[in-house]
Amino acid sequence: MDRAFKARLETRFGATLTGPVRQRHDETEMRIGAGDVVPVLTALHDEPDLHFEFLADLAGVDTGEVMQVVYHLWSETTPDWLRVIADGLSREDPRVPSATFLWKGAEWMEREAYDMFGIIFEGNRDLRRIYMPPDYASFPLRKDFFLPDDAARSPGGGVRPMERTQAPSNVPTTALVRRGGA
Amino acid sequence: MSTTKQQPHQSTDDPRVTLDRDLGVFEPIPPYPTRTEREAEFYTLADGEMLINMGPQHPSTHGVLRVVLKLDGEKVVDLDPVLGYLHRGVEKLCENADYHQAICYTDPLEYVSALFNEWAPVMAFEKLLDVQVPRRAEYIRVLSGELNRIASHALFMGWMALDLGGLTPILWSFIERDEIVDMLAALTGQRMLFNYFRIGGVNGDLNHEFMSRLGDWMSRATEQIDNNMGLLNENEIFVRRMRGLGTIDTATALRMVMSGPNLRATGVPFDVRRAHPYSVYPELEFDIPTRSEGDCLARYLLRLDEVRQSIRIIDQCLHQMPDGPVMAKLPRLLRPRPGRAYAAVEGPRGQYATYAVSDGTDQPFRMRIHDPSFIHLQAVGVMMPGHLLADTMAIMASLDPIMGGVDK
Repeated sequence: MDRAFKARLETRFGATLTGPVRQRHDETEMRIGAGDVVPVLTALHDEPDLHFEFLADLAGVDTGEVMQVVYHLWSETTPDWLRVIADGLSREDPRVPSATFLWKGAEWMEREAYDMFGIIFEGNRDLRRIYMPPDYASFPLRKDFFLPDDAARSPGGGVRPMERTQAPSNVPTTALVRRGGA
Repeated sequence: MSTTKQQPHQSTDDPRVTLDRDLGVFEPIPPYPTRTEREAEFYTLADGEMLINMGPQHPSTHGVLRVVLKLDGEKVVDLDPVLGYLHRGVEKLCENADYHQAICYTDPLEYVSALFNEWAPVMAFEKLLDVQVPRRAEYIRVLSGELNRIASHALFMGWMALDLGGLTPILWSFIERDEIVDMLAALTGQRMLFNYFRIGGVNGDLNHEFMSRLGDWMSRATEQIDNNMGLLNENEIFVRRMRGLGTIDTATALRMVMSGPNLRATGVPFDVRRAHPYSVYPELEFDIPTRSEGDCLARYLLRLDEVRQSIRIIDQCLHQMPDGPVMAKLPRLLRPRPGRAYAAVEGPRGQYATYAVSDGTDQPFRMRIHDPSFIHLQAVGVMMPGHLLADTMAIMASLDPIMGGVDK
């Protein structure tokens, strides 16, 4: 855990942070709004005392209430992994700026997040499905996903909880979405 | 080609499009309106260009990969990999399994180096649970992991030559690989998909058969690898074919977020084992080989240098291995406190990572798997333009993507 790094982040990004900077084990975590992704990532990448030139991972997360896009970055200037969480994307229309202007290689990771969560990355030149077929209509890793299209043909349809074709009718829809601590 | 008239039918690719032609007639790709800027650019042909389809069942795509190539004569202008033929939804499966079960789903991702696929999630779960892994277990992980790395690189060497049309090296490298795989089978009970690492340690201690096989192999490993290297490194046809092929420079490699040997072949000494140390790697002495050329030959030679370093690590592990338990004491049912953890390991192909989110139940709330094969396959699009069609396989093979990992 790099305590000095936490202080550096707080002074540099004080106004843009939407939550406290948290540290645990060898990770430092900061939360920003979707609108601040471009300036924050640019600053992290370009400024010589930060210099996060390696994008370790880009992932979408559905917390059941909001969508998030999670960036993991690595730099020589700190022994920690930096986790940047673009928080508070609406589940109906999640939109976030693309990171491809800094890392061209984020393109496929964003395509994957779009394919699995339906998150729109504005500025990605090639935002189409990557794993699922082009005519597929739903987003499999969302928490309200019930495998509606292929479960009907599956021998496990209706038996295995994962392959239920639809939500049980007597439960309110909101209760079925698993909500997490993210 | 069918000649019987068909009824108008809906396109399987886009439900908005109805096709009234014969089913057997070759359709121009794509049969639907283009959806993105890049797709529109790719599927617009200039004068003299044509599209050709490679795969999904092509012998040199290392799995089930389809690539649409845009050719000008025999020169590749651009390419568009089409993924998803091997997609199993591992991340979704892991969300519906408990923490112990999730590990075995990650095994078949990069199926030639399965121990690393287990290592990253296990490390992430241990961080969520604040588990201290016994030191002996860490040493066993490093030992078996480095063996697996050698097996994977040995296979790479054979494949590389096979994709260039040389049949002999793969037979040689399979000798090497089989010895290691048998060794690991004696240790873990499985040849490829081990399911050996557990949360808090490893499944079993080192046994007599494994140790005797390992000692036997270690006594001649270096010599054997030098032998194998001579077969290709001194082969003029091979070296001249590989040199200057698929060159990528440092800045582009970083922009494409490449890692592992493919990044180190461009001169960046980035290795997660040193850049962000985990397990007992800080206690071990080894070098990070780099090369500056960034072409296929550099990527190939770099992996052989890495094999030597792995042998060095294994040797040190055997000398420094402490006594003690191989599993931490943990309850059967794991319920980590809500939180998030990220863990990365240096696999044979690069940074292999897991981001796990816990919501306090016994199943991971979200488990993201970052696979280097996926990232490197994307970089083919940058390296390929300007090369000949026959070089597609060579460049792709030199990046060593495993489609099981690419398609998750």
